Amino acid sequence: MRIQIKYIYLSAFIIVAYILLPVMNADYLYTIQDNNVFISGHTFMMDVVDHQGGWGSWIACYLTQFFYHPWLGSTILIALWALIYLLTLQLFNIKDKYSPLALILPLLLLFNVLDYGYWIYYAKTPGFPFLPTLILLFCLLFALLLLPLLRRTQHGKWLNELLPVELCMLAGAITLIFIFPPQQINILNNHRPSFLTTLSDKNFKHEMRMYRALDEFRYDDVIKEMEAYEKEASASRKESEADIDFPTNLMVIYKNIALMQTGRLDRMFELNNCGTIPKQNNGPEIHISQLGSALIYYQFGQMNFAFRRAMESAVKYGLSFRNLKMMARTALMNREFDMAEKYLSMLKTSTFHREWAKEHERWLMSSTDFLQSMEYQTLAPLMHDDANTLDDDHGLCDRFLLQHFAELPQANTPLLEDVALCMSLWAKNDYAFCVHFYDYAHAHPEETIPHLYQEAAILLGTAENSPIEMNDFRFDPLVSDKFNRFVSTYNTLLQQGLSEKEMGKRMWEPFGSTFWWYYYFYTDFTLY
Amino acid sequence: MGLIALLAACNHPDVPTGAQQESRLPRIYPDYTEVTIPYNICPLNFAVQEGAEEVVANLKYPGGELTYGKEQKVQIEEDEWKNIMKASKGKSIEVDVYAKIAGTWKVFKPFNIYVAEDSIDHYISYRVIQPSYVAYERLSINQRNLTNFDEREIYSNMSVSTESTGQCINCHSYQNYRTDNMLFHMRQGFGGTMLVTHGELRKIDLKTNETLSAGVYPSWHPTKNLIAFSTNKTGQSFHTKDLNKIEVQDTESDLILYDVEKNEVSIISELDDELEVFPTWSPDGKKLYFCSAHFEYKNDSLAKETEMIQRYTEVKYDLYCADFNPETKEFSNLEKIYNAADSLGQSVTLPRVSPDGRYLLFAQAEYGCFHVWHADADIYMMDLATRKVQKLDAVNSPRSESYPSWSSNGRWIMVDSRRDDGNYTRPVLAYFDKSGKAHKAFALPQKDPYFNTFFLRSFNRPEFMIEPVTITPQEFAKKAKEDAVPAKYARR
Repeated sequence: MRIQIKYIYLSAFIIVAYILLPVMNADYLYTIQDNNVFISGHTFMMDVVDHQGGWGSWIACYLTQFFYHPWLGSTILIALWALIYLLTLQLFNIKDKYSPLALILPLLLLFNVLDYGYWIYYAKTPGFPFLPTLILLFCLLFALLLLPLLRRTQHGKWLNELLPVELCMLAGAITLIFIFPPQQINILNNHRPSFLTTLSDKNFKHEMRMYRALDEFRYDDVIKEMEAYEKEASASRKESEADIDFPTNLMVIYKNIALMQTGRLDRMFELNNCGTIPKQNNGPEIHISQLGSALIYYQFGQMNFAFRRAMESAVKYGLSFRNLKMMARTALMNREFDMAEKYLSMLKTSTFHREWAKEHERWLMSSTDFLQSMEYQTLAPLMHDDANTLDDDHGLCDRFLLQHFAELPQANTPLLEDVALCMSLWAKNDYAFCVHFYDYAHAHPEETIPHLYQEAAILLGTAENSPIEMNDFRFDPLVSDKFNRFVSTYNTLLQQGLSEKEMGKRMWEPFGSTFWWYYYFYTDFTLY
Repeated sequence: MGLIALLAACNHPDVPTGAQQESRLPRIYPDYTEVTIPYNICPLNFAVQEGAEEVVANLKYPGGELTYGKEQKVQIEEDEWKNIMKASKGKSIEVDVYAKIAGTWKVFKPFNIYVAEDSIDHYISYRVIQPSYVAYERLSINQRNLTNFDEREIYSNMSVSTESTGQCINCHSYQNYRTDNMLFHMRQGFGGTMLVTHGELRKIDLKTNETLSAGVYPSWHPTKNLIAFSTNKTGQSFHTKDLNKIEVQDTESDLILYDVEKNEVSIISELDDELEVFPTWSPDGKKLYFCSAHFEYKNDSLAKETEMIQRYTEVKYDLYCADFNPETKEFSNLEKIYNAADSLGQSVTLPRVSPDGRYLLFAQAEYGCFHVWHADADIYMMDLATRKVQKLDAVNSPRSESYPSWSSNGRWIMVDSRRDDGNYTRPVLAYFDKSGKAHKAFALPQKDPYFNTFFLRSFNRPEFMIEPVTITPQEFAKKAKEDAVPAKYARR
């Protein structure tokens, strides 16, 4: 039996789509569903149908949730594209040898899904990955159903030939007017292609993986992801002698949270701590406040600010599973149990976040379970850092946290001592470090001071008018010798007339994991 | 016939037999046990929160009884409810709740729903908004028919602008519960005050060079075409730990009077070191009540906003009253009628006088002016004849209560409450009988009893109306796009 060529083309398309979607971009698809929401029930349905793009958006929201398992959501989407291909062949009566033409639309739709990049955090239209597919499918089905009826009444040949096109256009108009009101498809107005971000930006992918690991309290996986980045960056440097590759600010923050929560924050400069703003092609203006600040605040025990960022994100960019879960979590941690119950009730109606909601709902029933939960145990030490104050982050969570912890009046637990010291270094707040360093030294007179703090103390202690009296402390000769080598190398390169950038590049290999390198050569601390 | 009988049977389940008696009331949501309701309100649908597989509620009313129940919900057919109300006016309905729990039917202690002989205004309106902080996106002012479940948009901000040109809409207000004289404000994109006078729509810019801001919190004079407003310089900041989460503070505020006919603004009060706000007229229009906090800035080196943030708990509002001559438009005899700040260490906001002029409702909390975000805020009432103040325990909850208002006949109180979860504001209604006693408050009924659980927006500033707004959202939107007519300033 001879297989028709149109099915061979279809099979090839399906394979390509599978490779590009669940194989290469599973994290991307998972993140898309995490920024989407579907709540069973009349209230959510009417809310979406009445305001946000009609029934089409509601169906699209329903389907988008299947990206929780990227292969499952992809299978549904690819099946719909296959249907579009077959309907196109039938509607326009395309001969076998021209069947690749019918793949143009599915390919464009595939491109569309891969095209969002950072837009996935800013898309306001609910269910946006499935929307164009559903619109097109509706148009084709509409045309296909009406075609036989109209053909009976049409006699002119040219009219007959054009009829499918006319019907598709009519269906398109009906769709836009009644099913997807145009003012709601805002992503089409704002969207600029960022195909390369999705497919090739490694940091974009690292960020997504680190976010998920952090969200699931898998701190070791966050660190592993950062180590993987370091390996890639190091390999690419060796290959091409390229400039030093910097991770994004978000990756640095996620990494440091993981180090903090695993008691290794004093290793923060051993893994690249020099964050930068993501590079993208035509993407949206990105801000950490939308990309991850709610989770960052949460992991730093700042429940009110985490709640605020989740709420504000829901207001501006639409409700999502991510926001809803964050609002439930912060309510739980704040012991606002009725509010937590509200959000958990909603999450319990979802297909894939139900178990998460049930697990957290147990904490409502049992305070013992709550107090013994890993989440509470992890975050509680950071929740009692100070008294209440009125403040604002002005949309810059990293600046707020650095200032907040660096200027902590009382670091009264071992964890907070480390956080205060490390945040001071991260922020290059010399004065704050010196204050916390003396507090630390007085609180632990018999203990060895971690190397990172020694590095910083040696550097700052040698500065003019430094509040650190070097003779008060015993420094590890390994640290002081390395510092001497750093100074000597620095002076040598300076005398050679090298630019600061070139000096930084040369000194990266031996000193890139020290505070000194960060202090002198990392000057591009851009907040976004 | 058989089909009709079958459908009727489905709508009215049988009363379970042999049910085990429980000695307590059932847990129902919303809590409608032992409440007094108006005879013209829509059905009080509720859910039974007993973890049951099935529930049945048997409503026994004068002259009959009807059963309802599907899964955990009790949703009553509207026409049947109207008949029940008609028969029960001035009497009560006894409700037996049955719940099938782990295969066994249980019947709970019955509760009553008392049906007052007093009706409630047919409409309320409120702003629908996420309880967010700085961001806003989709806001609308909606009107809800209390005799059924119909809700319609009066105006939506999305109809004229979105994104960076988005507009905030707020402070809808009506003269004497009617909608031919009404207003609301729009801020930022296409800013101005939408003013309807005798059914005619205008857009006014109430900001003048001589006043602090455009008009903010409004109150229509009951007989003259005058509106008292506060003018405010408002800011907000955020608690790092406190569960109130936000403070909304005025660094400065005054009172102005707007003459609608002349399109003129004049100043009522702009005293130094006083933050005057929330004006409200007495029903005869001869008195203006308002709140004012005495606050002296002490540190010249700090911006007012900064000092206010540092001393926010010191801002406490008292209640004042001034006589007003509607003919000359003169104010006189300013009097502090409730010294909440100094004598009680409390702060009074949002005063509203009953239609008979006898009582005054207000919201009170420990400090500040924005009590919707203050969990300790409760509703209090002053008897204006005796100046005696009482806390309305029947209306309050452990969470925030604010924005009280009276129905046009003075028999119903409406309050904005966060009693459900502490974050989402919902209107609650309470009967206020002729003896001056407030009865247990009940939630605004919704078709789906779980609507409030699953709806993630607040209903702010609920106001009674005796008729719907007839100007369409499209007409408002068209006018919104026009330039606002600037108001003139008139020296008093």
